[in-house]
Amino acid sequence: MRRPFSRLERFDFPALVVLSLLFFALVIAGVAREERSDWRPIQTRFRGVLEQNGQVGAARAFVPGVRQLWIPQLGRVDRCVTCHLGYEWSGTLPADLPAPLAPHPPLPYLGAHPFEEFGCTSCHAGQGFATATEAAHGHVEHWDEPLLDAALAGRYGLTAAELMQMRCNGCHRRDESTPGMETIDRGKVLFRKNKCLVCHMVEGRGGLKAPNLTYIGDKNPELFDFSHVTGPRTAFNWHVQHLTHADVVSPGTAMPDFDFEPEEARALALLLLSWRRESFPPRYLPGPPPPAGVAEARPVPAAAPPPQIVGAEAGREVFVTRGCTSCHGVGSGTVIGPDLKGVGARRDADWLRHWLADPAATLRAYPSLRSWPAEYGNIVMPNQNLSSDDIEALVQYLGKL
Amino acid sequence: MRGGGRLRALWRTSTWTWAPESEREAGEAIVRNLWLHWFPNKVTVRSASWGYSLWLGTAAASLFLILLVTGMLLMFFYVPSVEQAYWSMKDIRFAVSFGWLLRNQHRWAAHLMVGTTFLHMARVFVTGAYRGPRSLNWLVGIALLLLTLLLSFTGYLLPWDQLAYWAVTVGTNIAREAPVVGETLRFLLLGGSTIGQATLLRFYVLHVFVLPAAVLVLFAYHMWRVRKDGGLAAIEPLRRARAQAAGPPAPTKSYSLFGVTRGATIQTLVSTDLEEEDVAFSSPELVRRVVLVFLLVFNVTLLLSVLFNAPLEEAANPALTPNPAKAPWYFLWLQELVASTTVRIGGFSVSGGFVGGILVPGVLLLLAAAWPFLDQSPRGTEGVWLPRERRRQNLVFGLVALAMIALIIVSLYFRGPSWGFYWPWQPWPQEPTRL
Repeated sequence: MRRPFSRLERFDFPALVVLSLLFFALVIAGVAREERSDWRPIQTRFRGVLEQNGQVGAARAFVPGVRQLWIPQLGRVDRCVTCHLGYEWSGTLPADLPAPLAPHPPLPYLGAHPFEEFGCTSCHAGQGFATATEAAHGHVEHWDEPLLDAALAGRYGLTAAELMQMRCNGCHRRDESTPGMETIDRGKVLFRKNKCLVCHMVEGRGGLKAPNLTYIGDKNPELFDFSHVTGPRTAFNWHVQHLTHADVVSPGTAMPDFDFEPEEARALALLLLSWRRESFPPRYLPGPPPPAGVAEARPVPAAAPPPQIVGAEAGREVFVTRGCTSCHGVGSGTVIGPDLKGVGARRDADWLRHWLADPAATLRAYPSLRSWPAEYGNIVMPNQNLSSDDIEALVQYLGKL
Repeated sequence: MRGGGRLRALWRTSTWTWAPESEREAGEAIVRNLWLHWFPNKVTVRSASWGYSLWLGTAAASLFLILLVTGMLLMFFYVPSVEQAYWSMKDIRFAVSFGWLLRNQHRWAAHLMVGTTFLHMARVFVTGAYRGPRSLNWLVGIALLLLTLLLSFTGYLLPWDQLAYWAVTVGTNIAREAPVVGETLRFLLLGGSTIGQATLLRFYVLHVFVLPAAVLVLFAYHMWRVRKDGGLAAIEPLRRARAQAAGPPAPTKSYSLFGVTRGATIQTLVSTDLEEEDVAFSSPELVRRVVLVFLLVFNVTLLLSVLFNAPLEEAANPALTPNPAKAPWYFLWLQELVASTTVRIGGFSVSGGFVGGILVPGVLLLLAAAWPFLDQSPRGTEGVWLPRERRRQNLVFGLVALAMIALIIVSLYFRGPSWGFYWPWQPWPQEPTRL
């Protein structure tokens, strides 16, 4: 019944075989590309690290996959935590773990900036959406917000922590000074001392003789004249050189030479680049600074200096006088909160400090604790508003239980 | 087992036999099959050969099918809003399982479809297959080519990155040069005078519904006309040869109210006097080749997608024009024309927008549409590759196509900032960055 089709027909069958094999190979290549990832081996390693550090339950519960911190209020999706898995295990995992797995250093201001509310890129920049190392760190084409890491900071003779103050100043731009932002604060002092507002306008205040600096950090880098700038063609470098030698970078400029030292120029450049058109929900903005004098006076009651009790003994005093015993027993089992017998062996000092300063924030910061409220009748320990001295004393006391 | 029989019948109408054992079975495999009934029962050997049509139309249709499926899947992830579009592209690239594959395949298939559709048109031209009753289908084909360009162009905006935003800015600025209607046309297309949310929504609706629906309708009509016009023009030389051998045409088996009529049947407008050895059964011969072509095209898109990522630049920024801003490649020959016909004498400049944007493409399009009615070459050249009688017009067609390709290559690979000339190995001046 088959009739001869054409001279070329005999190629049809081999072609079908070849194309089918090719199709098969390409499907495998596609699946291989999908499965191959930077994060998979890291997650496997992390599970091992958890096991080595006694977190067998967490290791068993660990489900591999892309993870993200999603902060809709800030429009941030930070998949950094797909690889940077140890970030919230400070105190449990050793601090000297290699890079992606290491816990986030327990910085003093971390309690006020929980990961769940700020994510990673709010402070560190980088490409939160990406799940491949290079793209995520943002040192790639077509991404304008590279990770503020030591290598990038080193280009300008800064440390990563100094460079990151640019991000802090997004919310803190109206603070006079902020703990941890010493470099930018220095820039703010210089900005005031040199009376920049005589000529420049910032947020509706200042002069009109020179460019408005309110959103200078967003100025398109292509609009800077680099013909008299040496070194990298970046807005940061332009500002640094312009601040040290305004007349060289912008010939004929009215800006006087302020004789800034290089580090002063860098501090000011950081400040300028931090001024961007970003808006933050009100609760992300820092509260008003405590009135001068009050802040110092508050922690120590002025009257009747009590006999100085120090260390664990002082902690026991706080433990009793603040009514901790109404919820916590020591060796007598769960009352309302957990029994604190041996708590010093279970938790390190940093964790305890974090907890005592703000139980609710700590609960949010450690996913391993999420089951706690359910275990204890949906009661979360109220914040006792303890002073830092009280906290130190309590930590010493609890460590001995 | 009545239910079983019905199921078997259903199965038979949705699958087909690859090895029919009788003429009847071969015919039924086509005629009674939902997917194949628009094919002819039998097909001439020459029309289905690899060498005559190069199967470019089938390739274009295969690409369209790939685009429909990948596009439909992408619609589950893409958000047509100026705030979210770009970030949903990032999600597709990084977080959606096989999202990169969907997007790459959609992108490369779209580029290939523009190219394939044009090559299909070129093939129809050089074989003179647009003559006589087929001239209407030639016009339908031109409409399909324009729809393909529009589909690709509307899709170009959707990622909402710098590439998309500025390519569409360039493209719609060219449209503005059209006399009288230009400004209004651009306003309608953009939903305003600049590209914004209204533009994105319009382009999205055009891209995912209006244009594909139009392509589907016209494609169905295109295929139907192929049947009604008596198949591919490839059969014309054969039919002429058979007709000469047989003498005056015999009445075909078509019965009017008063008996046997001469000439065309009501099924086709052209009678066929072909011999048994000229034709083959569509099942399996034609069907197999359609499958082969689809497989080839699918493999090519898959290979490109695994190897190359679809571009995604910075998020669209109306305040920051990339230098150079280039239109999509299939409009680059127009942009190059616009740029090189812009004349500057001292402080005066005469925009090349009219010449490059309207005059040249308009004349070419009109000529192409009118050509079946202007072509004076003998009818005997239909369905023949590059016949001597049509050498001059084929040469002109080839030169125009070559000029377009040359202009595209120049503007794609040799144009740098401020539309200056750069060799591909010559570095462009480095763009400054923030940090």
